[in-house]
Amino acid sequence: MTGPTAREQEQATDDVAHLRLANGPLVGPVLWRVVSMVLARADWPLDRLHDALLVCDTLCAHAPAYANDGRLTFSVQADEHEAELRVRDLTDDGAAGLVKDAILPVVGNVLESMAERLSIEPGKQGEAAQLVLVLSSS
Amino acid sequence: MTPDMELALAARAENIAIVRHAFGGLGEAFAVSEQKLSDIRLAVTEACANVVVHAYPDGHDGPMEILASMADDELTVVVRDWGRGIGPRPDSPGLGLGLSLIAALAETVQLGHGGGEHTEVRMTFALTDETPSMSILPGTPSGAHPEGHTQRAHGRQASGHRA
Repeated sequence: MTGPTAREQEQATDDVAHLRLANGPLVGPVLWRVVSMVLARADWPLDRLHDALLVCDTLCAHAPAYANDGRLTFSVQADEHEAELRVRDLTDDGAAGLVKDAILPVVGNVLESMAERLSIEPGKQGEAAQLVLVLSSS
Repeated sequence: MTPDMELALAARAENIAIVRHAFGGLGEAFAVSEQKLSDIRLAVTEACANVVVHAYPDGHDGPMEILASMADDELTVVVRDWGRGIGPRPDSPGLGLGLSLIAALAETVQLGHGGGEHTEVRMTFALTDETPSMSILPGTPSGAHPEGHTQRAHGRQASGHRA
């Protein structure tokens, strides 16, 4: 990265953690810890925190297949009620593919069932669509 | 070199814990020894604390960015801010040990602008060498040096400190 864009600099003054990782072994351990810390700091109950980490595990299992240019970008923010997790830098069909791939036998779609809200938003500045997951602490 | 990990956060004290945990994940992914990881986290914590305390005027938030790149058993960590730069600060609230500590723990330390409008502390850590650790701290360079200046100190490169 050549430094945060103006938008990222502006966002970085909010309570948002922006994480960009090389597609590979770093994705799981780092995302897991960053999300854990952000949610724990927001005083999330342990069972909800575990649910959020299950979402992370699902993302880590499938997002690498849709990484654009060998990178994955996540943005995490949380308050005591909700957490928002954005996945960016995906291929053109990555956001939709990621949701589609999150189906487990018997369980169903993990992302849809765990998230309070799930949406695919158009990317900004020519980026591909991003996956937005809103999780609830209650 | 494109970093393996980039983390951008508001320069607030509570966010340093997130940085430390992120490096825990990096340590797990690359099987970094506990002792080495402890040294890396301490050095990175000091660099981030410098940003939180010194980079932005009191009452103002600004961005803090941490980049980590792994190559040939060497980890390079860059901590950046877009604040007021590095310079003497007689009213510094700290003990002024931060960069000396970083210099003791890292193989090399460089302060500068990195060609942009930001200020950065660039540290390298040899992951195969177990000698630099808090348990056997070597002598640390004393006195400030102009930013971007480097010197060899106890077998390592080191340079001056903020504040």
